[in-house]
Amino acid sequence: MKVTQREVGSAVVLDLNGKLTGGPDADMFRDVFKALVDQGKKNIVVNLEKVSWINSTGLGILISGYTSVRRAGGDLVVMHASERIESILYVTKLNLLFKSYENEDEAVKSFSQAGR
Amino acid sequence: MGKNAPAEQMILNIPSDLKYLGAVDAAIQDLAREFLFSSDDINDVSTALIEACSNAIEHGNRFAPDKRVLVTLVFNGMNFTARVKDQGVGFDFEKALRENLPTDPMSERGRGLMIMRAFTDGLTFSYADGGLQVELTKRRVADGGSDPSE
Repeated sequence: MKVTQREVGSAVVLDLNGKLTGGPDADMFRDVFKALVDQGKKNIVVNLEKVSWINSTGLGILISGYTSVRRAGGDLVVMHASERIESILYVTKLNLLFKSYENEDEAVKSFSQAGR
Repeated sequence: MGKNAPAEQMILNIPSDLKYLGAVDAAIQDLAREFLFSSDDINDVSTALIEACSNAIEHGNRFAPDKRVLVTLVFNGMNFTARVKDQGVGFDFEKALRENLPTDPMSERGRGLMIMRAFTDGLTFSYADGGLQVELTKRRVADGGSDPSE
């Protein structure tokens, strides 16, 4: 899994590329989220466009990130999730936790609309 | 391929490393397409199988480099069956099957069974030859929802 980050307005977009499956990815993501929160960057958009699939450990990674930024007063949303990933979020009921957007503009604007 | 078609089987023997999940995904995607599974069913089957293999590698074999995961894929025309066998000590799967959902919605764990159950038509666990075996079954339904054997 490769992760690149860029700032768009008040948000940080994390562009993921690969398969979100846990293992070494879990430690890498914890470090990424810790660094972002330490820098006061707490509105995160996770771009899943280039994530081919995700397993339950990968879901745990997203939940861990979500918990970190929520504790800091921010939020984590996802965008460009494939139909396959959307169906996994649905059956695990995580669609109730992660707001999912089809485009970046909407995802970034969601934070200001929520007053974050 | 009709009801009486002979079963076709493929066995993958993979190391206890998550990087091999991509190869399992590619194999099942290609084979399921060959056996005329619908695109939705292909994604379902693959998602469940990836989850079973992930569990076998992470929780069963605990990433041990000397342990393997045996994946047996069987197509018989009507159904697809995948058996995923690890070399670990197992877990209380009866308790896990009863509970199914994690009690804490923010829990980072406990959704694997939910995924396997949701994306297949059958899910069983058994112990065999010093390891846990998960069996997933999926009934083939052609695009449009009709049973291809009818």
